Amino acid sequence: MAVSPVVVHSTDAPPNPRSLSSPLKTVTSAQASSNGTPVVSTAAPNVVAAAQATSLDLAEQLNEEEKRKYVKGKKLGEGTYANVYLGFLKSDPTKLVAIKKIKIQKEYTEGMAPDAVREIKHLQELSHPNIITLHSVFSSKNQNLNLVLEYLPLGDLEMLIRDVDRVRYGAADIKAWMGMLTRAVWFCHENFVLHRDIKPNNLLIAADGEVKLADFGLARSFSDPYKLMTANVITRWYRPPELLYGAKHYSGAVDIWSVGLVFAELIIRTPYIAGDTEMRQISLICTAIGTPTEENWPGVTKLPAYTTEGEIHPVRGREYYMSFFGTVGTEGVDLLMKTLILDPKKRITALGMLKHEWWNKDPKPTRKQDLPKKSGGQEKIGADLKRRPGVIDDDKTAKVARKLDFGAAK
Amino acid sequence: MATEDARYKQSSQYRLWSFTPSHLATLREKTNTLARTHISNRLRASDSPVDPLPNFLTPDEEYTILNHFTLELLRAAPYCQLPTDIQATAAIFLRRFYLTNSVMTYPPQELIKTCIFFGCKAEGYFIRVQKIADTFPNTTGEMILAAEYVLCQGIRFAFDVRHPFRALEGTVMELRRLGDFDDDRINHAHKRTRDILKFSPLVTDAYFHYTPSQIMYAALAMADEELVQRMLREAFAGQGEEAKAKVWGVIQNCKEMLEKEPPEKMASYWTDPESTKAIKALRRKLIKCRDPDRADLVALQKARREEAVPKPKPKVGSDADEKVFGNGTGEGRDAKRRKVVPEGGDPFGPPL
Repeated sequence: MAVSPVVVHSTDAPPNPRSLSSPLKTVTSAQASSNGTPVVSTAAPNVVAAAQATSLDLAEQLNEEEKRKYVKGKKLGEGTYANVYLGFLKSDPTKLVAIKKIKIQKEYTEGMAPDAVREIKHLQELSHPNIITLHSVFSSKNQNLNLVLEYLPLGDLEMLIRDVDRVRYGAADIKAWMGMLTRAVWFCHENFVLHRDIKPNNLLIAADGEVKLADFGLARSFSDPYKLMTANVITRWYRPPELLYGAKHYSGAVDIWSVGLVFAELIIRTPYIAGDTEMRQISLICTAIGTPTEENWPGVTKLPAYTTEGEIHPVRGREYYMSFFGTVGTEGVDLLMKTLILDPKKRITALGMLKHEWWNKDPKPTRKQDLPKKSGGQEKIGADLKRRPGVIDDDKTAKVARKLDFGAAK
Repeated sequence: MATEDARYKQSSQYRLWSFTPSHLATLREKTNTLARTHISNRLRASDSPVDPLPNFLTPDEEYTILNHFTLELLRAAPYCQLPTDIQATAAIFLRRFYLTNSVMTYPPQELIKTCIFFGCKAEGYFIRVQKIADTFPNTTGEMILAAEYVLCQGIRFAFDVRHPFRALEGTVMELRRLGDFDDDRINHAHKRTRDILKFSPLVTDAYFHYTPSQIMYAALAMADEELVQRMLREAFAGQGEEAKAKVWGVIQNCKEMLEKEPPEKMASYWTDPESTKAIKALRRKLIKCRDPDRADLVALQKARREEAVPKPKPKVGSDADEKVFGNGTGEGRDAKRRKVVPEGGDPFGPPL
């Protein structure tokens, strides 16, 4: 049902006259006591003056320093979560950046939004050619967070996959893109970070063709053995069976499953397992890959949300995959099958993937400067970055947003 | 160079929050001077100028107050039922914050609550702000949230803190694997080291000067030095004595620092008449010299938000005309259109 949003015109409120006058002028009215008691030791508080104060703490100075390094240019995108601007380095105007200005979330009453905290936390630590670079974070005077991100003007992988009419690519291109994605995921896991939202439109493309993993709004550090995690992560189409079954304790294998489905999608140019509900997603996995059972996945029936419906499908064999995904060759299919193993304990790891023989077979991966490109990416980076990280916009049919319950612990 | 070292050097803890002792002292002095200057100017400019100016805290006194409130934080955190690493993160946030802000500027008794709340958030433990507020007397959720932004700016948006706790678990496993020591001895050292790590590095400057593994070895050396020597022998086998001696030297320096604040102090501190008397005097002094405008964080936050509301542009010509015809540049109309039409959406909304 359509609900018309309540529009609050906060800017229509009359301006606070105090904020327009000199900050120090208004201090005293409260203090002009006429009862003869001399007030000497304290000054009356004046928060407006403090808010406007021109002298800066060291913290504010450091913040200003960061802010002054960049010049903000035209707006690339506008959204409810953030606006994205083109920017450049003041010291070198040829060095472009994307400045993502996160808006204050009125409806989230617990302070800074968790997705912003997660994104900043993890991007501050991860520095790798296949992970979007966070150059800087600063706050503007009105307390908006500004993330200075690498400028990635060529859109995302989803645009290339979908534009079947105009974009052609082959096995060597897929190998190059998969190599970049696998290295990005390997680096995350090597640094004990789970991304938890890998999908084609979170893979942005730099001017030189390098693919970069973005959107760390659902990322988290590896959990200690006794600490539970939420199962409600990863966009449904790319969500592994253990999460659909409600596993609270999982590993890097959840990301590998998503990588496998991106791989499959690159080959067939359409999402491989696209369920419109979680139940449907499970039954599609059962038919496309195989029904999880105690035989192929010991312990699976103990998972909180384990269900099967109808007949048990045996795990699909090599021929089945060859018939759909044969364009990447036998080794390519072998790698794909290992990423889509039902039991997460048996699923290949990111390191295992990098060591796979497929990379050494012909054809050699395309050099990044020769990879297929698509024009009109500038609007796209705006659209990609302004999204609230970790939430899918609903114009992309059926990819219903997973809502995280940030109120509950973990 | 070992790749682990290279990788640690990429962390925000190393890039933004590691200093030499002299650099750290300079930063503290600078923060203190800036706060003094600001508060002095403010008091003199007041309509009934404050005269004489109060005595300001020295950097050393600020440090004593900071340590007092770090202890307060560590005392309060268990009441919120927080795991060790979150307590530690909150404590480190507090110490980082007061490196770039003075205790005279922002009230530490308020900031410890915000540090606990934001420490939870940074560690991915999303706890309701009200739950933290309920733990403290006379505290509302609004008060805790009021300082959140200031805190984030103060810690330079570095939300990932590297602690030595997991390093200790790893070392204990390694010691068991080596098999040179009996289990009781290892277990005893394990427990003692953990107790030290939960306290000593958090109330000293250890995190600013040493890496998590150096801190862990320093604490282990306090518990059982031979175990550390054994690990170093193993790690530097075949690499010559020089590198090993250098590392051991650093560990010893760190150990000296930790020994000044043994974990027993957590219990004795509150009853020690000397320290309680000293801190009382300092807190009295602080009340007289603090920034009058920034003690009330809730009001300050409100003022800052109001500042943020864009001021209406001075208008030329008739207001009414503009409403009817737009302002000529089409800006107003576009803005309206944007409000009505969600990007790419149907102005009449999705189908029912």
